[in-house]
Amino acid sequence: MYKLTLIIRYLLKRRITHFAILAVALCVFIVVVVMTIMTGLVEDFKQKNHRFVGDCVVGTDSLVGFPYYEEFMGILKGTNFVEAVSPAVKSYGLLSVRGDNVRRGVEILGIDPVLHARTTDFAQTLHYRAGQPDKAFLPIYDPNALGCVLGIDLALMRSAQGSYVYDDTPMEVAITLTCFPLTAKGAPAKVGAGLVETQHFYYSDHAHTGIAHVDGSCVYIPLEQAQKLCMAGTLQRVNAMHIKLCPDVGLNLGRAKVAALWQEFKRTKADTQDGYLLDAVLVQDWKEYRRAYIAPMEKEQVLLSLMFILVGITTVFIVFVVFYMIVSHKRKDIGVLKSVGTSNISIVALFSGFAFVIGCLGSGVGALAAWLFLSRINWVEGQLFEKFGFQLWDRSIYAIGDIPNHVEFHVLATIVGCAIVSCLIGALFPAYSAARLRPVETLHAGPV
Amino acid sequence: MLKIEAQSWCDKSGWRDSGSLMLKLFFWLRYLCKRRIVFLSVAAVALSVSLLIVVASLFTGFIAAFERSAVDAIGDIILAAPSGVTFDKYPELVKRLEQTNIVEAATATLSCEGLLHVGKGNVRGVTVWGIEPGPRARVTKLKDALIRQKQMPGEPSFEVPGMPGKVGGFVGIGMVADPNERTDEYDQKAALESMVGQQVLVTTGTMSQFLDGAGEPKRVLVPFSISDIVFTGVYQLDESLVYVPIKTLQEALYPDEKGSPATSVNIRLRPSVDPEMAVVQIRGLWRVFAEEELGWTTYLTGATRIQTAQEMQHQYVVEIRKQMGVLLLVFGVISFSVVVLVFCIFYMIVRLKRKDVAIMKSCGASSAAVAWIFLGFGITVGIMGAGLGAVLGYLITVNINTIEGWIRATFGLKLWQSSVYMFARIPNVVDWEWALILVGLSIAAAATGALMPAALAARTRPVEVLRYE
Repeated sequence: MYKLTLIIRYLLKRRITHFAILAVALCVFIVVVVMTIMTGLVEDFKQKNHRFVGDCVVGTDSLVGFPYYEEFMGILKGTNFVEAVSPAVKSYGLLSVRGDNVRRGVEILGIDPVLHARTTDFAQTLHYRAGQPDKAFLPIYDPNALGCVLGIDLALMRSAQGSYVYDDTPMEVAITLTCFPLTAKGAPAKVGAGLVETQHFYYSDHAHTGIAHVDGSCVYIPLEQAQKLCMAGTLQRVNAMHIKLCPDVGLNLGRAKVAALWQEFKRTKADTQDGYLLDAVLVQDWKEYRRAYIAPMEKEQVLLSLMFILVGITTVFIVFVVFYMIVSHKRKDIGVLKSVGTSNISIVALFSGFAFVIGCLGSGVGALAAWLFLSRINWVEGQLFEKFGFQLWDRSIYAIGDIPNHVEFHVLATIVGCAIVSCLIGALFPAYSAARLRPVETLHAGPV
Repeated sequence: MLKIEAQSWCDKSGWRDSGSLMLKLFFWLRYLCKRRIVFLSVAAVALSVSLLIVVASLFTGFIAAFERSAVDAIGDIILAAPSGVTFDKYPELVKRLEQTNIVEAATATLSCEGLLHVGKGNVRGVTVWGIEPGPRARVTKLKDALIRQKQMPGEPSFEVPGMPGKVGGFVGIGMVADPNERTDEYDQKAALESMVGQQVLVTTGTMSQFLDGAGEPKRVLVPFSISDIVFTGVYQLDESLVYVPIKTLQEALYPDEKGSPATSVNIRLRPSVDPEMAVVQIRGLWRVFAEEELGWTTYLTGATRIQTAQEMQHQYVVEIRKQMGVLLLVFGVISFSVVVLVFCIFYMIVRLKRKDVAIMKSCGASSAAVAWIFLGFGITVGIMGAGLGAVLGYLITVNINTIEGWIRATFGLKLWQSSVYMFARIPNVVDWEWALILVGLSIAAAATGALMPAALAARTRPVEVLRYE
């Protein structure tokens, strides 16, 4: 009880402790704001990638692809842990727009839109045919034409606010795609006869995945057209099969089961025509499959967290100094306490408790301020942009929407915990010094 | 002891002369040696300053490398025809440019997008630049980027070793090799050995125009043999640039045209020429050339982009500077707590040294002199901390690549990858302008922290402090 009394007394009487609370609050505020935004951006990016590829991918990086995918799809559909499967052809092509002398390299994604919509959120990314994947490749202005879906940044310009201007119907634009069809051995097909395949399409819709490099370079076309443009040979091939697992199946378990099925399937096809192409196929969950894109962002998060360790060190210093001062001024009080029987442990506990209270108060104030700031951050950014033309992230360059402002409990708990631990560490030495004080030295009267 | 010494000094030096610098120095050194907690504030200032210097230097180094890479790749100024348009008679334009007193060298480029087939299953989208390697090496740092030819005398060429007469070309190293996953470095020797002389194929296209103005895309194949491999250290360039002879590309894309079509001219300015002024002069020259030689309309002439390499990167540089500003603000706010730390320490010293201060005042020291002792001490702490922080910041920045290598070797964590951050090496040049600003600000922060304790010391009343109870 006396500990609590003393803690409250020191808190109210020693105004220097308010500086320690202020410093802790400031550090917690900054770290909560920055880590919330960073964590939000990383999580948002991860989820977009998850929605783009589905739960699991059976695929190869080679542009040659692999055959016998329909058989394996049949096997997967017969299981009780796979909800949907979508085959896909992935390659590179040259896109040119009729009437325009501009050509650019693009990534081609050949899909069955209905199957792909069951596996990924393809249908939700469409604009004119949103929710209607069966009509994705049917232009509104001419349903008989062979349509293609462009990444949104290929079709439209993004404004500084991150918005696009949509027409009521898609513009009637003829597009030509040129590719190198590759044989099963990876050599260009049609040697001596042009070496390339060209196909005309009509712009039917655009897809907005929120992933910058996909929206800026991806062209979706029907699977059969992609196989004709990019794959030559007697057996139909694809580069990947996107899989959606049943909701009650865990990601790791689902991936392991698919991998086991694939190993068995590969073994049965080992001696068949082009069966060797199955050797380069990997079974990966969405995190592994998109690792090259997700890892850099996670690494930045780690880097920032490491830099904020320095913040913790500053907090430790401040708490140390404040407690050092308090102990210096309260030598007689401590002497009195010890002379009436208080143990060294109790003295340490007293100051540690005091540090804990400072940590809790400072973290509380900092967390509250951070929550208030984050809840208004998008409004603040909007106001800054309107009045001063300043925008933290230019939306025409960065593929983000609103600044993430949802404070994750685990992030907050970690930061508050670290702040309290920093305070305890800072108070450790002064508390130990206080415990070592000898009453006879602190209480003796001065010379007459 | 201190009281006796102070008394002795009062007697010897005479407090009438209250601005005595020697006395202040004495007390500063004394407090520094006796009150070891002061070193904590020095350490805190040093830590904050070093962190801010490292952040500022890395960002400004990155921006400088970003701008420099543009100049190294395309020259000081680029004159580019409107999209989809080519211009003829570029040799005449180059000659006129080189005759001015501002242009050191100029060279033309014919560029297009294409697909490169390198080997089995290896197809990728590329940007194809038709160039003249000799003149280009005078305008850009092309020769330094060529792995095989950079040490060879003379100008670079497209000649394929051991294959005279073959059409040669350069490809970026990222197209023919993957960097080591651990070190993020390319095996340049292996890439050269395996790829030089290899036949590759670029497919691209043009628009064949119909009479009604509509166009039909016409595909064009440009086979060539790899004569050298380009490594600029800029990931995006090494992943996607292919260089072929401009004549080969012209014949492939525009076989019916008799002239010399190009899409842009790259210009290197003479040393100490202001690029902004040069743009104005070049624009005037271009206007005359376009109207007289090409018969272009005013609209088309005006639509031609003439920009410095820095202007082309301006939008991205602005964004990077913004991120730098935000990060410096974040760490600056945290460093504000250093002010609080200095305040706490000095407040404690003033409280402990009240009797000393009272003696000084009773010997005749003015309030201002007493305040200056502590303020000066605060400034000294700031100077020491800032100096130490500057040295630490310098050492970390200059050795950042070594530190990154050590982290990778020890923890297996590759922090810097060229595929993410564009450059193969972390820029490691200290920005001394920012360093000086940060050092100045940290000294001011330390002085601010010492201000209130100094004022408190100045307000000490000797009669209250020294009376015997």
